[in-house]
Amino acid sequence: MKFVPERLEVAAGDTVVWTNRDFVPHTVTAAAAGIESGDLAEGKSFRLLAREKGEIAYLCRLHPVMRGVLIVK
Amino acid sequence: MNFARLAALAAALSFTAVALAQGKGPSDPQIAGIVVAANQIDIDAGKLAKSHSKRKDVQDFAQQMITDHSAVNKQAAALAKKLGVKPEDSDTSRSLKQAAAQTAKKLKGLKGAQFDRAYVDNEVAYHQQVLDAIDKVLVPGAQNAELKALIVKVRPAIAAHLEHAKHLQGSLAKKS
Repeated sequence: MKFVPERLEVAAGDTVVWTNRDFVPHTVTAAAAGIESGDLAEGKSFRLLAREKGEIAYLCRLHPVMRGVLIVK
Repeated sequence: MNFARLAALAAALSFTAVALAQGKGPSDPQIAGIVVAANQIDIDAGKLAKSHSKRKDVQDFAQQMITDHSAVNKQAAALAKKLGVKPEDSDTSRSLKQAAAQTAKKLKGLKGAQFDRAYVDNEVAYHQQVLDAIDKVLVPGAQNAELKALIVKVRPAIAAHLEHAKHLQGSLAKKS
């Protein structure tokens, strides 16, 4: 169980889409940045417009060992 | 000619060796039985922890075990139905259930921090045991490609559970 890739660099204004390819639900959660996808069932996606530059560390709220970083340049 | 016969004999012998090795391991219906039993055990332990623990992190973990292992069993049941395989009991599934019954009995007698520690310690040991079984018995033993693929697909979830349980074990040790 992990985010693939765990580290992603995008440009400000890009839209990032996470899709759950696992058979158990996952989330994309960054409480500090106010990001919460809600539970994503298998095959479901979450879209995020990366507006501000910076680094967003996120995790799966259900499986906190799953961690990722989104870098907005 | 002699050489050819020797080669044929050697081939026959190695065939026997493979057949014997296969005879020792569990059959596909038994592997399906082990998968179902192993998941059900952790679902039941999760339910026990949800009703016994007062800590949110332990309860959240327990809920996750219920959700994830139920999802695995749903997939396993669907595959077994598709393949026409009826999960069978074996010495392995029986000993898993027996050990789980003893653990549950022990856990039910504990409260508070003692319960949390015992539950989480057991989850660490249990997921390690399941990972070992996946690597050493279930994946090498599964004959059907789809059954093997399902077990391979489940492995990362078990590894993540183990990591999560170890993390929880660490935070329980710190606070008490």
